[in-house]
Amino acid sequence: MIQTKNLTKRYGKFTAVDGVNLNIPAGEIYGFLGPNGAGKTSTIMMLLGIVKPTSGEIRLFEETYTPKRLDLRRRIGMVPEKHPTGMWTWMTAGEYLQMFADLFGLEDSGRRIDHLLEQVGLAEVKNKKFAEFSRGMLQKLSIVRALLHDPDILFLDEPISGLDPFGVKQIRDLILEENREGRTIFISSHILSEMEKLCHRVAIIFGGKLMVEDQMKSMLNTLAKDREIHVDLEELPADLLGKVKALNFVQDATGEEKTLVVKVPKTGDYRKELSKYLIDQNLVPLSIQEKSLSLEEAFVTITKENINLFAGIGGEK
Amino acid sequence: MNQRAHATTVLARRRIFETLISPGFYIAQTVGLVLAYFLVAGFVRAIDSSGFDYQLYPAYELIGRSLVGAFGTTFVEKLFSEGPFLFILYIAFLPVLLYLAVSSVFRFGLEKKVGALELLTYGPADSTSYFLAALIKDILMTAIYLVVLLVFLLVAGVLNNLILGPSFYYSLIILFFLSVAIYAYGIFASSLTDNSASAIAVFLGLILFFIIIMMGSFTIVSGYVRNLASVFAWIIKWISPLFYWDLALRFVEVGDWGMYFIGILLLLVLSMAILIISHLTMKARGVRP
Repeated sequence: MIQTKNLTKRYGKFTAVDGVNLNIPAGEIYGFLGPNGAGKTSTIMMLLGIVKPTSGEIRLFEETYTPKRLDLRRRIGMVPEKHPTGMWTWMTAGEYLQMFADLFGLEDSGRRIDHLLEQVGLAEVKNKKFAEFSRGMLQKLSIVRALLHDPDILFLDEPISGLDPFGVKQIRDLILEENREGRTIFISSHILSEMEKLCHRVAIIFGGKLMVEDQMKSMLNTLAKDREIHVDLEELPADLLGKVKALNFVQDATGEEKTLVVKVPKTGDYRKELSKYLIDQNLVPLSIQEKSLSLEEAFVTITKENINLFAGIGGEK
Repeated sequence: MNQRAHATTVLARRRIFETLISPGFYIAQTVGLVLAYFLVAGFVRAIDSSGFDYQLYPAYELIGRSLVGAFGTTFVEKLFSEGPFLFILYIAFLPVLLYLAVSSVFRFGLEKKVGALELLTYGPADSTSYFLAALIKDILMTAIYLVVLLVFLLVAGVLNNLILGPSFYYSLIILFFLSVAIYAYGIFASSLTDNSASAIAVFLGLILFFIIIMMGSFTIVSGYVRNLASVFAWIIKWISPLFYWDLALRFVEVGDWGMYFIGILLLLVLSMAILIISHLTMKARGVRP
C-alpha cells in the first residue's frame, strides 16, 4: 500500500531523511516513532506530496506517486497534529465539513457527514461554530474531515497529543474501528504507551535513518537484553537477595520494599522455579509477574545506542 | 472537469460567498462611492463662466496640486480634459482595489502561517487552485464594483448635466485589466513570503515602487539623475502594470484602438507571466511556512 525506496530529503547540507525504505501492506496500523528532529514530519510530508523528496521513490497503491498525482492524493486522509483554529472559525462544524465534501465532489455528502459525526459523538454539535470546540472535539472533527472521502490510507500526526484520558480512549477506539473496516493507518506519535496498544508494526526513525522496523512483539523481544520477574512477598528477608542471586538462572536480584525483582535470561520461563524456591524458603509469593520490555524502553534503548552516532545533527525541518 | 478545476471552482465559490457576507467589501464600496459623490459635487462647484477650475474648490485644489507635483501638469490636464469622471473613476476605484488586493494577500499569508492552506492541500486542492480561486473572487468583485460605479456615475452625470466622455469608458476597461495584474502581483508577493505582514509589505512595496518609477518618468526634469533613472525605469517598466496601463491610455488619446487593445493584451500577458512565476515559486517553496 505504501512503499518508499531510498527516500531522502535534504535541506541544504542537512539531511532530514536519509534513504528510508518503508513497506506497509494494506490494512495495517503502522506506528512511526522518533524523537523531535528525527525526520518523522519530513517523511510524512513527502508521503503526502507536500514536500518534494530530494531523491528516492514513493509508491502508493502500487503506483509511483508524485505531488502531481491528485488522483492518488484523494485516496489519502490526513489528520495533522494541530487544527488550524485561526481560520474558518465563523463556520459551524457542519459547514466546515461540507466545504471539504464539496472539494472532494462527494455525492450525498450530508448523509456521510451526519454518519461520521454520529460515529465520533459530535452529532449534537453539528450546528455549533467550532471556535467553541475543545481540543478533543477539534481532533475528532479533524478525523471526520480526513475520513469524509473514505480514504484508503489515513495518516495521523500525534492524534492523541493533549487529549484527556476519555478523549484518548475515544480516538483510540475510532482508529481501531477504522482499521477493522480495512483502512491502512499510519500514525506518528511520541506517546509510546498508546502506540503499543494500537500498532501492528512500528518503525523507529532517528537522525533521518530508519533504525528498526518490525512487528511490535518481535521488535520488543529482539531488543530486550533480559527480562524481569517481579514477586510481591509478605516480607522481604534481608538475606534473601544474596540467596536468590546464587540461583543458576538469575542474572541479578534487587528488592523494592516487599517486592523482589529478579533479572532472568530473555529465553525460558523461570516463574515456576522461582516461586518453588521461595516457597521452600517458607515465603509466600502474593503475586508473580513477568515484565517484558516496553516500547518506551525499546525506544530509549535504540535512541541511546545511536545518540552518539548522530550527535550534532540538527532539528527537523 | 479535472480535479484542479473542480477545487478552484469550489474554493472560488466559497471565497465569493465569504466576501459577500462580510462587511469589508461593502465598506470599501461605500468609501469609494462617497468619495465619488463629493468629487462630483465639488466639480460642479468648481465650474465658473470660464469652465472648470480646480482651484475654485478646496478639495480639488489640494488634489490638483498633489497630482501636478507627482505627475506634472500635462498629466493633470489630460485627466480633467473630459470633465471630472476620469479622475473620479480612479479615486473611487482605489478603496475597493486596495481592499480586495490587500485582504487577499493578508488572507493568503494567514492561511499559510496557521496551516489552513496545508490542510486544503491534503485533499484534491493544491496551491495553484487556491490562488486561482482568490484571483477569480477578486476579478468578479472588481467587475461588480465597476458596474456599480458606472451606474452611480451615469446617474450623477445625468443629474448634474455632465457626460462621461469616451476616455472614461476606455479607462474603465483598462482599469479592470490593470486590477487583474495588481491582484497577480498580490499572489506573487504571497508566494514569496510566509506570513501576512511580510506578504503585505512586499506587495505594497512593489506597487509603490512601480508608482515611483512612473512618477519619476513624469517629474525628473534634467541631468544625470534623469538619465540614470530613465535607464532604470526603462528596465523596470516592462514588469510594471502601470506602464501598460499608461501605454493603453496614450493610444486612446491618439485614437489608435488597435494599439489600445494590444496594451490590454500586454497587461493580460504580464498577469499570466506573474501567475506562472507565482505557481513555480509556490511549487518550489511548498505550502508550509
